[in-house]
Amino acid sequence: MTTRDDRAAAADPPSVAVWLGSAAPVRSIRWLDGALKTAAKFRGATAVAAGEASWLDLAADRAARAGLASVGVPTDLRLDYLGWAQIMASVARHLAATTILVDEASRPARFAEVAAIAELTDAAQLTHVVALAPDDAAIHASRAAGTTLQTVRIHGPAVIGVRIPGPPDDDYLTPTPSAAMRRLELAVLGLDPAVLAHRALPSRANQQTRRALERIADHLAVHIAPRKDP
Amino acid sequence: MAAVLVHIDLDGNRPHASSLRALAAGRVVASSWGATLYAAVIARDPEPRSEPGAPPRAAIVRLPGDANTMEAIREALARGGADKIVVALTEAAISPLWSSVGTAWQGVLDQLRPRLVVFGADAPSAVELGPRTAARIGARLFLRARATGIEEVEVRDRDGSYVRATDGGAAVILVGVAPRLPPHGEDDIDVMVLAVPGIADPRIELAGTAPAELAQTTGPLIAIDDEAASDPEIVKATRRLAAVLGAQIVGSANAAAVVGGGAVIERGAPVSPELCVTIGAPAVDVAGSASLVRIGGAGGKGVDGALSGPIATQLTELARVLEGR
Repeated sequence: MTTRDDRAAAADPPSVAVWLGSAAPVRSIRWLDGALKTAAKFRGATAVAAGEASWLDLAADRAARAGLASVGVPTDLRLDYLGWAQIMASVARHLAATTILVDEASRPARFAEVAAIAELTDAAQLTHVVALAPDDAAIHASRAAGTTLQTVRIHGPAVIGVRIPGPPDDDYLTPTPSAAMRRLELAVLGLDPAVLAHRALPSRANQQTRRALERIADHLAVHIAPRKDP
Repeated sequence: MAAVLVHIDLDGNRPHASSLRALAAGRVVASSWGATLYAAVIARDPEPRSEPGAPPRAAIVRLPGDANTMEAIREALARGGADKIVVALTEAAISPLWSSVGTAWQGVLDQLRPRLVVFGADAPSAVELGPRTAARIGARLFLRARATGIEEVEVRDRDGSYVRATDGGAAVILVGVAPRLPPHGEDDIDVMVLAVPGIADPRIELAGTAPAELAQTTGPLIAIDDEAASDPEIVKATRRLAAVLGAQIVGSANAAAVVGGGAVIERGAPVSPELCVTIGAPAVDVAGSASLVRIGGAGGKGVDGALSGPIATQLTELARVLEGR
């Protein structure tokens, strides 16, 4: 009979990285801190961010506060979900990370990167995780699926989208450039910016807050509950 | 001829309402683009069919389960506008996870090589299957999209990105809204059964399900402050808006009479729904919302919409406009 100790001895603990994304959180760093705190449950986890310098400084600062090492990929590219996933997948290979957490809640479209990173690293995927606990070789997760909560056990390489809040901190100081963050250029990761640019997003004007009722109704129309057949 | 493929989730023994909305959007696009519209359902057949790794095969196979149920699903999809129906059989237990149905879904993708893949944005599988499908086929991904136009239909998301018939490459869309179409007349449509070898991904083990706490739900929320909750006119309009959005109203213990005992949320509690509409200035941390609209509050960074002015008037008008869509 296999005992709990046998299983623990047979399996290596996962090597973990947490993908913080390519831009600072839209409204609050609470969810960023929550993802980092969750990653800190795994020994030796590394925080990873990509993008412009000010964002990398913030990511490095919050990672250091959570006690995590950090890696930054400086780039001014603006990519879609699959472009950023290519960068994170390359960093994961570089770090030999087999379990990747993704901060899903800080930006609305980030959950799509969970699937893309999983696809590129041939890992299992799990989105919308609201609680996570490592235990020997398995990871126990609770996943929000609409109004239900799924209890899931994860074995082996996986990309896990987390939406777990940290403590509120609305008055954080603007961080200064950090020497603690290890910078990895795209070339070091074997990535060519010209090739990545195939996944570039067209530049758009910053979305202003809608203030006219018709425009808000238009925005909300894609959330109207579908009507069931009688 | 190009294929437009719609993933159909089941809600009990009939197509999920959000999947039928996706089917309607797919119908409009397929008609405009001259494409064939496929509706694909994944069904469980516990009988092993062949070795994992073997290619999927299209075959005449008896469908598992109740024949009347399958016929009702076929009729609903035919009425919804499908040209053809694909039923992918899998040995895995069906759950809205890529690890559960990904292999079967891959079999459908391999068989049809679709130009456009459509999911209902509110269908249970959409968040797991949609982006993974897009990544697998290298497609552009559109979240909360809609089909627009009359003769030359295009698909647009709310950031302004679009896909047109003349564009190269594949696209995956999660449809948030679709036109209401009259029932399609064609009832005698082909059903292709695809037996896809393979089991669920053993790396993800679904151990159980339970009701989620309110703070963990991803569905739309309306958060109301205490002052607004004491105004009967605002409460009435809030309930209308909640009904049209399928949203849960939440508030503090002082608003318990309005929101119901189960929807009282702790002061400062963080929520991360797909959509949050705030009425007044509720003491809930809504920063994790994917989309945020404020009624009776200021706009600002990360706020998608803000209506100032008398709350009751604005809210009533907003509910009226949305009810008419």
